[in-house]
Amino acid sequence: MKRFFNIYLLLIVLFFFTGCAGVREFLGDIADKIAEINSEKAPEGTKVLPASYYLEKALEYEKNDELQTALFYMQIAGTLNPDSTKIPEKIASLKSTIDHKARKHFTTGVECYEKRKFKDAQRQFLTTLRYAPGHKEALDYLKNRLHPKEYLNYKVKEKDTLKDISKKFYKDPSKDFLIAYFNNLKTGEEPVSGTILELPMLESEFTRPTIDIRIELIKAENFLKEKRYREVLDIAGKILEYDRLNKKASDLKNVSCYQIGMELSRQEKYPEAIEMFKKVTPEYQGVEEAIQQAINKELFKAKNLLKQKQYEQVFAVTKKILDYDKSNKAAQDLINTAFCQQAKHLTIRKNYTEALNVLNRADPQYDCVKKTISDVYKAKKKQAEVHYLNGVKHFLNEELQSAIKEWEKALALNPEHKKAKKNINNARSLLEKLEKVK
Amino acid sequence: MQRSANRMKTISGLVFLLSLLLLAACATSIRSQHKISEIRINDDFIIVTATAKDTLSSLAAEYLNDPSKGWLIAEFNHIKNLTPGQELCIPLFPFNKGGLKSGGFQTVPVLAYYSFSKNKPSKIAITQDDFKAQMKYLKENGYHVITLDQLLGFLDYQEQIPEKSVAITFDDGWISVYDIAFPILKEYGFPATIFIYTDFIGGGKAMSWKQIKELSEAGFDIQCQTKTHRNLTVLKKKESFKEYFKSLEMEISYPKKLIKKKLNKECKFLAYPYGIANNLVIAMLKKHGYRAAFTVDNKSNPFFIDKYKINRSAIYGKYDIEKFKNKLSVFQNMELK
Repeated sequence: MKRFFNIYLLLIVLFFFTGCAGVREFLGDIADKIAEINSEKAPEGTKVLPASYYLEKALEYEKNDELQTALFYMQIAGTLNPDSTKIPEKIASLKSTIDHKARKHFTTGVECYEKRKFKDAQRQFLTTLRYAPGHKEALDYLKNRLHPKEYLNYKVKEKDTLKDISKKFYKDPSKDFLIAYFNNLKTGEEPVSGTILELPMLESEFTRPTIDIRIELIKAENFLKEKRYREVLDIAGKILEYDRLNKKASDLKNVSCYQIGMELSRQEKYPEAIEMFKKVTPEYQGVEEAIQQAINKELFKAKNLLKQKQYEQVFAVTKKILDYDKSNKAAQDLINTAFCQQAKHLTIRKNYTEALNVLNRADPQYDCVKKTISDVYKAKKKQAEVHYLNGVKHFLNEELQSAIKEWEKALALNPEHKKAKKNINNARSLLEKLEKVK
Repeated sequence: MQRSANRMKTISGLVFLLSLLLLAACATSIRSQHKISEIRINDDFIIVTATAKDTLSSLAAEYLNDPSKGWLIAEFNHIKNLTPGQELCIPLFPFNKGGLKSGGFQTVPVLAYYSFSKNKPSKIAITQDDFKAQMKYLKENGYHVITLDQLLGFLDYQEQIPEKSVAITFDDGWISVYDIAFPILKEYGFPATIFIYTDFIGGGKAMSWKQIKELSEAGFDIQCQTKTHRNLTVLKKKESFKEYFKSLEMEISYPKKLIKKKLNKECKFLAYPYGIANNLVIAMLKKHGYRAAFTVDNKSNPFFIDKYKINRSAIYGKYDIEKFKNKLSVFQNMELK
């Protein structure tokens, strides 16, 4: 027993001398042996890869437009190399790009949503979320606004009873129990004025129509055969007001709006035609082409107006096109060309302020706009110089008042004109002295 | 003599304690050995170098407190397996909740099965061998079978799920689910949900409550498919609107209470009988606290699907494996730039 104890004590002392490292080495050997058996020995002395590796990775992701992943890797690179001044700059620039792209796609998404182009809106909101995964508004559109609601909100008016609301909404006062049920109202309890009630939207088979939809549809179809599209549209609108999901009425509305739009196009009333085509669901065959044709006709009209230098009319026509289709490149080109041409004419007439006002309405990204702005400033400067020299001539002819007037004109056009400023001061003091001599 | 024996006991006790302390200290030091190169980035990432002893699952257990989340590390690093010495970024948060990529978005197929047969297929009954082959296909091709709770986390834009996720559901509560499907799912370790219509339970070809309880205790999710399996969207002959409304309320509220009573489990999902619903049904589901509901529209689900109109792909009896594969769409192409 004593001998065994001595050996044990010796082992403990040995542990004291070799420390944990010894134990670790001992156990590590076992682990290595197991790893060797499995032929996957871990390389020794492995270190974290340098910041440049992660930075390179980030740049690769950035190139592929995977900006969030690029940002992750850039942040890693930044942590690994805290002394770098470039990485924080790159992070800030990447964040700003992400922010810009998310904002741009979200705005386009809202525009598409408002134009009821829901598929396009969905794509834009998804793109927004891809760039900015925490974008709450884009998420709200995708998760809520883009889905049809199963109820409508109704604000209770003074003296409204549930029976009144039920009659108004379901064309049936006896469905008041339904409103009470979904709004946690007790039997006989009337809603308080101003309260917002949730009214489930019932399918047509559950509501009693005040109009006979079947008969109305027959009437509309007969009108359609006679090509009386305005009448078809009226009836379809009435049915849809009652039953917004009625497929036949919605088809009739599409056909009639499309045909009315075509007629307006034939009469060359393109803006009215486009208005009408916009009421047709975008999936309707031929409607997108019809809108495009009407837009092209309007563009042609605008080009002719530009040739006749009718700038205000060009602006009005192209603005309308851009209202329908904000990204229409031809309309954008045309309106900016018109702005530049009008500004040039105003410059020739030396109306520089008005020219600059016109250019303020243009897109500064356009090369022609940039150039025209620069030309206006150059012309202004040149004209200032003309006034300055006129002033000098007057001065030499001892016409001090006239000289001051010319230099003041020069200064109005170019407030930085040092000589004009100096000469005005000199001329004024000379005038004062002359006054005294007199 | 007695005194020296006591002293000996005390010394040996002390030495034993000391040695225990030393060994404990050494053990801790060994555990943290592979963390030598561990770097934490803003509480968002950890960079580690994998050792020969690491697996995706062990790293997920250590850093994400969930061994089943190895896929998250694999997907972030675009790898399938670990190589010793490989440096890895472990994301500590769901880095892509909606599964959005520049070329499109993730979709999740939800499979809807009905009944099974040993070897005779019918329209709604799948043979044991076909079901086995389908589950084998999922396992061997890297699909992750997720629960409906995980699916809900994805649809709520709260949780990230594996890129190749699929959910499995059964309708009605046929006995063959218990006899044939259950053992196969158990073998593959796949979770599943059974939507029962409670009037069917205990009937001739249906499971009993005892069997359902057994499945529930084994980890299977038991949810609701109404009381009588009536079509929720049409009035019966001579049924008034008020009677229809009362019937809807019963179909939706009764099974929820019964499942709670029988299994002590919360019922939060509903599969529409015949896969169809209307606005009134959806409004009522929301009022009764259901979190989501399922149709049988043959499509996969992106995160932004209406949660009360979740698509399911019905798997019928005479499907070959090719037809089955067609139901497993996990990505929808769409340029998101």
